[in-house]
Formats: sequence, structure tokens, C-alpha cells
Amino acid sequence: MKGVVFNLLAETVSNAHGEEAWDGLLAAAGLDGAYTSLGSYPDEEMSNLVTVAAEVLGISPNDVLRWFGRSAMPLLATRYGVFFEGHQSARSFLFSVNDIIHPEVRKLYAGAGCPHFQFKDGADGRLLIGYQSPRQLCHLAHGFIEGAADHYHETIDVEHLACMQKGSPTCRLALRWVS
Amino acid sequence: MPACLAVGQLKDFPGPRVRSDLEERLASAERKAARERAARLEAEAIAEKGLRELYESQQQLLLLQRITHGANQTGDVGEALHLAITEVSQHMGWAFGNALMRADGGGLVGCNIWYAAEPDELFDFVELSRSCRLARGEGLPGRVLTEVGPVWIEDVTVDSNFPRAPVALKCGLRAGCAFPVLVGEEVVAVLEFFSRKRLPQAPGLIAIMAQVGTQIGRVVERDRAQRALVYDALHDGLTGLPNRALFADRLGTAFQRAQAGKPATLALLAIDLDGFKGINDSLGHAAGDELLVETANRIQAAVGAVEAASRAKSPWQSTIARMGGDEFTVLLDDLPDPTIAETVADAIHAALRMDELRPGQTKATASIGVVHGDRRYIDVDQMLRDADLAMYEAKSTGRNRTVTLSETVGSQIRQRLSLEQQLREAIQHREFVLHYQPIVDLGEDGQICGFEALVRWNHPTRGLLPPAEFIDVAEETGLIIFLGDWVLRTACETLAKWHGECRGGSQPYMSINISPRQFLQSDFARRVRAVLLETGADPASVRLEVTESVAILDAARTSLVIEEIRSWGVKTSLDDFGTGYSSLSHLQRLPFDVLKIDQSFVATMSERSESQGIIRAILDLARTMGMGVTAEGIETAEQAKALRQLGCSHGQGFFYGAPLGEGDCLKLLRDGR
Repeated sequence: MKGVVFNLLAETVSNAHGEEAWDGLLAAAGLDGAYTSLGSYPDEEMSNLVTVAAEVLGISPNDVLRWFGRSAMPLLATRYGVFFEGHQSARSFLFSVNDIIHPEVRKLYAGAGCPHFQFKDGADGRLLIGYQSPRQLCHLAHGFIEGAADHYHETIDVEHLACMQKGSPTCRLALRWVS
Repeated sequence: MPACLAVGQLKDFPGPRVRSDLEERLASAERKAARERAARLEAEAIAEKGLRELYESQQQLLLLQRITHGANQTGDVGEALHLAITEVSQHMGWAFGNALMRADGGGLVGCNIWYAAEPDELFDFVELSRSCRLARGEGLPGRVLTEVGPVWIEDVTVDSNFPRAPVALKCGLRAGCAFPVLVGEEVVAVLEFFSRKRLPQAPGLIAIMAQVGTQIGRVVERDRAQRALVYDALHDGLTGLPNRALFADRLGTAFQRAQAGKPATLALLAIDLDGFKGINDSLGHAAGDELLVETANRIQAAVGAVEAASRAKSPWQSTIARMGGDEFTVLLDDLPDPTIAETVADAIHAALRMDELRPGQTKATASIGVVHGDRRYIDVDQMLRDADLAMYEAKSTGRNRTVTLSETVGSQIRQRLSLEQQLREAIQHREFVLHYQPIVDLGEDGQICGFEALVRWNHPTRGLLPPAEFIDVAEETGLIIFLGDWVLRTACETLAKWHGECRGGSQPYMSINISPRQFLQSDFARRVRAVLLETGADPASVRLEVTESVAILDAARTSLVIEEIRSWGVKTSLDDFGTGYSSLSHLQRLPFDVLKIDQSFVATMSERSESQGIIRAILDLARTMGMGVTAEGIETAEQAKALRQLGCSHGQGFFYGAPLGEGDCLKLLRDGR
């Protein structure tokens, strides 16, 4: 996993709970925590941090990921404003992930393993998003979707129709725009 | 679980008792941490920017590398343009790319080389763009022509100089940019691209596109060089017409097609300027070249006019070529009516006649040979050869005319050609002999006073041939020079021999025919003198016969030559007198010794009183001018008597003796007839 994700986590944790909280989290996870955005680090370090945080906060790791995704969005908007410009809504922003944002990510972080999302209009009017990744971070994606909705002042109701964590071959999210 | 792990409660964790200096050190450490974090973020931002730029320039270099590689692999301009359009569009994520080439008239024209990421969505714009025509300065590509550099339009839908704006708007295109393909300073093509998004000008991209333009320009340059080479190899440098090689190729193709179907739809014209060599020699090569160019233009115009006039009914094709020198050929193909070939020939004659080809010069004329396609032709060379034959026939039968090669004409020409070849061999193999016809005093005793040397060809298969069978061909081909020299020398040798044999007896003279070409040689007198010296013939016994027509060609020169020859004692006769156009004033200036009355007057003197009248007039004239007279072709005693009574002093003919071999003549002389 790219160091930039660890940096984002550090920032969201520090913003929400203070600098010491991040330091304590690292210590509890037994990590030295020297992450630079351009470096690559083992995926387990992320899952360790999420697990420890979930334990401390008494919530599920999935909820930690979802919180992390939603909280990271304003930081991303500040750091990579160019990807948010030109979109009037979270929908068009989400559609640009595969074709614009991920190629740009790969420009910076050679060899970054970005997930590919499939978009489909569901029969019930919901937007169906397919996700497949060995990291199984569909809840992080869920959080990012909520963060994007926040950015464009929208509310999106996200339902996990299927999940790789539960043995499905892919994760499928259904999005309904509440407002 | 250690308390320090309770993330949410870390702020409330009861730390060790804090000393003020400790607090100060902690605050300092926090400031230091904050500084280092800020420094890290800045370093990361700088590194990210560098990485992004590196990535982009690497990608652009890869793009350029692909285009350069592709351009080097192909010689085809269209292929190179298509590669560039596709690669750049895909690389930039642009919706549409289109190539335009320079059009006749200075503008640009779409050449159906384009790329669209989603063709069906852009259908209308693609249709409009792939073959659009734009003037210099018009629209996005037109502006590249005037600026000789890249042009960007931020929003094509509102640009005042973008004719395709309504369709661009309909297809959702926003921004456009265009780049020149350059050969030197010349814009040879334009690459235009359109995007659905705003398109900021990027200096790096402009530099890359300049490189792309140069690379594609090299393909254009190579293509041009290749075309020029091929063109030069197949066209005449002076007139720009197809040359012999290209003509042979076109003729070959047309010939095969015609032979498989209707041979008569094919016709070939061989055109040769009359007297071109003279113009080249007298006015110089520059003038000759000028004349050839003008001739080429006129032939083209003439053929084009006939083609245009008859094309509406049924179209046919023509190819005009310069085969070298002043030889041109015209191939007519798919003719609905074979006589069009003759119409074209007439039109060419008329076009050349129209005005002087060069100011102040006489009008040029041409001889044209026409040959029509025919099943008997096995290959194109035969057709070409026959067209040439017909052309030579036109030349040798008066120039400035057309001869169509029919079977009769063809066989006549071929016969003559074969005769020419045989004549050459005859000269090599010395197949000629001289016979000598006695010339007698028309007085009572009929004393032999001389002989006329007459050439015979001892043909290997046809036997002894009289001069009428071959002299014309020998004259036309120039072989007469060799033959005439031989006759002069042999007759002089014979004369010298006879004089040696008949020492003390009668010493006959030898009358020798000189052909026009022989007489017109600039060193004719010198040659005669050389023969006289070498053979030892007595000049006073040699008579050279020159025909009237050649004598008056350049009367002043004739007079000089004859006076020189006469100064050595040699006598001269004017042959065939009365058949040409000599005027009395000419005759007066020409110092001939003898007039020979043509046999046609002698043959008809008994039935036609005017023949007798002419003979009397000639005799009167000769007497007045102090010239001798010899009548030719006396066949009967009546003719001899009549001529004698008219006062003619000498004569020859079958009545007095047929031409005889050298030995028989010697016997005659010894017998002292």
C-alpha cells in the first residue's frame, strides 16, 4: 500500500483525536510509522492499524475504514483539488475515478494497484457499483462515497448488496441519492 | 490492555509530574515535529511534482518515439499521418483527430485520415471533417497555414472563425488545437484535434507536436523525392511529356487490351519535325529546344482539342510522348472510330502551321506516320516500327504530310527497306559493273567518239539490274555517294586502259553520270581531281554529266565547280535537258560544254510535232551559246535521220549500240568502226 494512504490516515486520526492518538496507535500496532507518501508499505500495516483502532474505539474495522474514507475526502480535495474541479455532483466525480483519477495516481505512484469500479444503473433507480480487490476495502470505498457526497453537499444511502468478505466473488454497492 | 492504547483517552492520560523546563522541552519538540512534518509534506509535494513531470515527459517521449519509429518504417504519407493522429489522440485522451493535406489552390482538404474515440457519437463531425475543404486562414487548420505554427481554440463552439461550430456543439466538442506538418518552412499538412474539455496550452506538448510535425514532414519529403525520381525516370526533362519508357509501358498495356478485344480501337502516330537538324545546327541548341517545347505544347493542344470534341460521344484516351530528338509519338486508345487518328494528325499539322514556332522563324512542319491496331501485330515493337516506317514514307514523299500505313504502303516500304539493305551489301561485296553505251557522230559514217558509262547491279538472285531499279533508293539513303565514287573511278580506269590499248587509234571520251548528292558534296571537285590523278585518265576525254535539276539548285556554286573542273580540261554535260525548270538566264551562267537532249523528246519526235519543235529550239540555243548537243535514246534510223537533218551533231541509243561490257567495247574500238 502506498505511503500516501498512511499519511491520510495519520492526518484524519490526528485531526480527530490529536497528534498523540496517532503516536499511540502506532505504538500499539508495533509500527515505527515512518511513512512517506511516495513509499510503499505492507498491506498488513494498514490492517493492523485499523484493527487496533477498532479495538480502542470499540467499533468494527469496517466502520473504522468507512470513517477513514469519509474523513479523508476533505484532505484529498485540498491536496488534489484538480480532480474535484469540473464536477457538479458526486455522481460525475465517482464516474471519473477509473478513467481520470486512477491514471493520475499511477503517474505519481508507479506500480500503484488501483481498483477498477464497474458502474451500472440498477432497475430500482439506484446506481450499482462493482468492486473487486484482494485488499477487500469495500468499506473504505463506502466511506469515500460518503465523503464525495459531503463534498458536493449531497446525501447518498449506500447498501452492500454483496461482499467479498462474505465469500462473494465481488463486492456490489447500491447507491441511492437521498438528497 | 495498557492505558496508552486507549486512543480516545490519550489526552486525559495522567503523565509524570511535569517540570516547567520539561514542558518547555516538550513544546520545543512539538514545534520541531511540526516543522519536520511541514518539511516532509513540502518535500513530498516537490517530489510528486517532479515525478508527475517526469512521467509526462517520458510518456511524451514514448509517444514521439512511436510516431518516429512508425514514420521511419513507412514511405506512405497517409499511413504516417494516420499513426500520428491516432497516437496523439489516444495519448492526450482527445475525442477526435483529423489530418488535412494541401489542396490545389493553396488551401487544405481533409484526406479521410481521422481518429475518433467514440466514432458513433461524433458521426456528424467526422463526416463533416474528413473531406472538408478550407481556404488559407479559414477555420482552425486554415489558420495554421497563415501562422505556420500551432493554433489553439479554447472553445470552438463560440469561435468566430470556425465554420464547423454548430456541428461541434451538437457533438459535444469544446476545445480544438491544430499543428503544422512542415517540410522546411512549407506547411504540407495540418493535424487537428478536438477535446470535449477545456484544453489549456501546454508548452511541453507544443514542443512534442513540433517534433511530430517534423517527423511526418520527413515522410512527405521522402515521398516527394521518390515521386520525383519516378517522374524523372518516366518523363522527358525538356518538354515534361512521358518519355520512351513510360510510353512503351502505356502502349504495352493498351496493346494487350486492344489485341484481346478490338485491335482497331488502337492507333499510333509517329511524328518527326521536318528539317529540325537544320534549325538546331543553324540557330543553336537553345533555339532547337525552344522549338521542341513549343511543338510539344502544340501537339498536346491539338490532341486535346480533338479529344474534347469527340469525347462527349464516346470517350477515348491519348498519351503523347517525346521519344528523343525531334521524334514524338501519340498513342490513341479506345477509339470509337479509327479515322480519329487521321483527324488528330490533321489537327497536329494545322497546329504547327498556325503561327511561326519561334518569332522571326519560318514555320515548322512535321511528317506523321499513322498505324492502326491490327491482329497481325504480334508485339508493340512491330507497331512502333511500322509507325516509324509510315513517318519516313511521309518524309521521303514530300514532308509536311501524313502517311497511314496500309498493307500496300507497308509492303512497298518494306520492299524499299530490304532493297536498301541489299544495296549496302552490294557495295560491300562489289556487285556492281559498268556497261558502256557508244556515243556516235551523227554524220554519215557514224563514227564512235565516246561512251556513256552506265552502272548495272549484278544482283545475286535477280540478275543484272538497270539503274532505274535502285538509283532512287541509293540517292535517298545516301549510298549513292559510295556508288558514284566507284562509278567515277572505274570509268576513269577503263578510259585510261582503252587509251593505252588504242594508242595511235581513235581516242574516245568517257561520259560519266554524277548524282545530285555526289555533285553537292563540298569537296566534289577535289575528289574528281584525285580520281583523275590516280587513274591516269586524260582529263580532256572525261565528261561529267550533271542533271539540270541539281545544276540550278545553287547556280552560282555549280558555275564555280564546273569552271574549276573545266580548267583541267574536263568537259561537262547538262543531262536530261528540257525536263527540268532551267531558265535561260540560269543556262547562260552555267558553263556546260554539252546539252543532252532527253530521250523522251527523241522517242516522241515522229508523232508529236512539239517534240521536234523543242529539239529544234534546244539546238538553236546550243548553237547560240556555243555548246555541243548529244541526243539520247535513238532507237530507229528515222530518228537518227531526223536528228541529223535538224543539225544534231551527236547521239546515242540502241540504234547505234546497246551498252556493252568493257571487253566488247575495246573490240569495237579496235575494229575501228
